[in-house]
Amino acid sequence: MTATLVAILSLAVLGIPITLAVDRSARGPLLIGTAFLYGSGTVYLVLLTLSIAHIRWTLISITIASLIVFCAATFIARRRAGDVASHHTKPHLLDLAALFTIVCYALYATLAPVWEWDFWAIWGLKARTFLEIGGIDWRFLESRWNTFVHPDYPLLVPLNYDFVALLNGGWSDRWMGLLCVAWAVALALVARSLAARETTPFFAALLALLVAALGFSRYVGLAEGALIAFGGVGVLFIRAALPDDDDIAWRHAALMLGFAANCKNEGLALLVAVTIAIATTSWSRLRKLTPAYALAVPWLILRAAHTLPTDIAEGSTVSRLLARLPYAHQIVMFLAEQLYKPWFWIAILIGILLAPAAARSRERFIFLVTAIQCLFFVTVYFITPNGLRWHVLSSWPRLTAQIAVPITFAVFLMLANSLRPEEDAPHAEDTRPVVPARSDE
Amino acid sequence: MTVRRALTLLCLAAIVVLGVASRLLELPFIDRGWAARTMARYPDRWPDYPLFLEGVRAHTEPGDTIAVIVPAMNWDGGYSYAYYRASYFLTGREVLPLVTPGNVRLQQNFRAAKYIAVFGVGLRSPADVVWRSGRGALLRLRR
Repeated sequence: MTATLVAILSLAVLGIPITLAVDRSARGPLLIGTAFLYGSGTVYLVLLTLSIAHIRWTLISITIASLIVFCAATFIARRRAGDVASHHTKPHLLDLAALFTIVCYALYATLAPVWEWDFWAIWGLKARTFLEIGGIDWRFLESRWNTFVHPDYPLLVPLNYDFVALLNGGWSDRWMGLLCVAWAVALALVARSLAARETTPFFAALLALLVAALGFSRYVGLAEGALIAFGGVGVLFIRAALPDDDDIAWRHAALMLGFAANCKNEGLALLVAVTIAIATTSWSRLRKLTPAYALAVPWLILRAAHTLPTDIAEGSTVSRLLARLPYAHQIVMFLAEQLYKPWFWIAILIGILLAPAAARSRERFIFLVTAIQCLFFVTVYFITPNGLRWHVLSSWPRLTAQIAVPITFAVFLMLANSLRPEEDAPHAEDTRPVVPARSDE
Repeated sequence: MTVRRALTLLCLAAIVVLGVASRLLELPFIDRGWAARTMARYPDRWPDYPLFLEGVRAHTEPGDTIAVIVPAMNWDGGYSYAYYRASYFLTGREVLPLVTPGNVRLQQNFRAAKYIAVFGVGLRSPADVVWRSGRGALLRLRR
């Protein structure tokens, strides 16, 4: 356990100057949450770079490379000293409830060595295989006998496991689940801080509790936890950036979405969904996502160079699509039946209908991204070469969990803020409080 | 209080309760020993298989090729589990499947493997026993 905790702490420390280089004014939960996520993303890039450069992963090589990043980020952060403004997120007694929830998840994630099939057949297997040779084992990924590991999946999560294993001095899956908890905590901290800019400490704390619960993936050891965290934070930062083109929020958003694209193919799909959603309002804003594309590209090049197959694209996708289209109604009904926490989603839909129209229109971006992601997920079911029933049962609850955080965040704030005295009048013009403001009160 | 306001409050409460409610919140108050034992057993169809694979790992070298024979030689009937689990415990070695997902036998992999890890069944082919434990044995085929 010590090695995993030290690894989590190291990632957070590594990420502090990176966060400050992006946003010199970040403090409190925002600083801690984003620092861990940047640390996690950076250590992935470090291990990927070392592997491409044929430098064997050792504690020394990784420490040296990380220190270079750390120093460069510190230098940049110091040069940004001019933009420092005070940030303070006022704590609330209800924050203890979020803490309790997190403790429960930590207990769950560490009940036993990571047990999920997809951990030891995909994410953990890759990490353990790479650790053997101290780098990415392309021969393993290219082997026709190993297509079950989904060789095309990006490697942020396996390489984070490798970082833990290197600190541990060898492979052990006993406490790896703590990393999943750390990703959820990071997401909750960022959500807490962003919510505090828009609502009262009570509602912000309540929302943080909700985000902590939704952000923790029950599928311990899979990449869902990391994807929910990076993707959720990325989308929430874009939401914060949109009203007045806040450059700091754009930078956070682009980097987080880039890392999300390195967690899973759905992260890549999220980046496409965000791109489409932004393009519908302003093409020029897409250039602000350049860091996201830059982060996504290396893995796309590597997987093309090594011709790593994507199972969804096997055979004729068009013929599968045409064969299933006549059954679209039944497929959609089956998805509705298999929806995880259906009453929760019904409450979200009711919340959207109840919210003031002006608030709804301000959350258009979140609704659009969520809808596009849903469309992507459903389309995949129409073209999957796997048995449709099996594919839905084994993935649909995970996929819906991936998109839950941003829309819940938006709906919650719409409702909570409509209860506040100054927003009693429904359909009021621009009632959203101080998104771009730099005070967290 | 207006109807809209009451409904908003109700909806907000429902979102929080439905989003947060989870049996995981009971964890601090239950016997976690039982839960831990259940989860530790959860991945394995045969509880002694991981221990056997650890033994195979200890008796082979990185780079060795190993094929696995188990009671279930049907892909969905258990071979996929045996093969994937072996791949996880035997990283650094190359684990070769003897059956495809379509249940076609892969004789070439049987012949190509340096070792055959046999678990829960016997092997008729002439082979030397490298190591044996419990229900399993690591064999080297006589060429």
